[in-house]
Amino acid sequence: MDLSEPSLERLRLKLRYKVLYHVGHGCADVDDLVQESLARFIRAGQRQQIRNTEELGAFLNGVCRNVILEYRRRMRREPNLDQDMPIPDTGIRPEAEILEMRDAIDNGLAELAERDRAILRSLYLEGREKDEICQEWNMSDAQFRVVLFRAKERFRRAYGPR
Amino acid sequence: MNCRMEPIQREQIIAKYLSRSLDSDAVEEFEGHYLGCDECFDELRVSELLAADLRDSPGRSQSNMAWRSTEGVAVLQFRNASELTHAANTLDDLRREVLEQPDSRVIIDLGRVTKIDSAGLGQLMSCYSHLVRNQGGLKVVNATPEITRLLEMTGISSLIPSFTSEQDAVKSFRN
Repeated sequence: MDLSEPSLERLRLKLRYKVLYHVGHGCADVDDLVQESLARFIRAGQRQQIRNTEELGAFLNGVCRNVILEYRRRMRREPNLDQDMPIPDTGIRPEAEILEMRDAIDNGLAELAERDRAILRSLYLEGREKDEICQEWNMSDAQFRVVLFRAKERFRRAYGPR
Repeated sequence: MNCRMEPIQREQIIAKYLSRSLDSDAVEEFEGHYLGCDECFDELRVSELLAADLRDSPGRSQSNMAWRSTEGVAVLQFRNASELTHAANTLDDLRREVLEQPDSRVIIDLGRVTKIDSAGLGQLMSCYSHLVRNQGGLKVVNATPEITRLLEMTGISSLIPSFTSEQDAVKSFRN
């Protein structure tokens, strides 16, 4: 198991993404949940409790899921009575870091044809099936692939090797 | 989940994850995968970036073209200096504007069009064919001398006549 600092930092980033997805950006305890998940994972590794090292992601996912479940149970037992507590926001929202990256991309998707944008909106914002979208726009799988990967390439360059 | 799966299939899962339309078992499976797979996590982040951009810009900014009607003839005018070239977005806009409007007698004011290439000429011909099929026609006005010469050289002016005034172009529809 690779416990080098870059590797741990990478795991922390991924865990943070998962935790935010489930508890929302309004949760003040995100970093604690991430840290607790990571600490349990490292402990399990040191005690050689991870039998299948090929499935580290699935193991870490199970650990993080338990941490989130425990947190939710605790919050139900001990509700926060602070009137100023922010309303939980469970909508997925990119973090500042990723928004800054987007700003670095010239024009974002503004240069794309409206048709391509409508296709991408159907896929990413409405969660529609590829086949359904292709049928609606009378396009082949290959044409769909071109629209999708041309758009992603613009953002992939900005995201770069992380 | 296997990251060696068909990229388009992976993208479909990512898109559903981002739009929260994956069922809970599939969410678990995907999260278990990306926590151990850098490649899929990077793809997820790139797609998130793309989705954020789509969410923040729901529609294209105001169209560069405007319609008005003169004596029952639809006149399309460019708001800003434009090029009808392969590299410009204007081509798709032009085709959409002409095909989606109900009039079949159309005048395109080329006064603000500074350049046309073969793709632009092709798009004009595509608009012309559509309008003629619908018992109408297409004329252009205010073209620059260079564009007028190009229309003549390619023989397009015999199908899409060019006029120096809008009034003359409107009149020509009555003949």
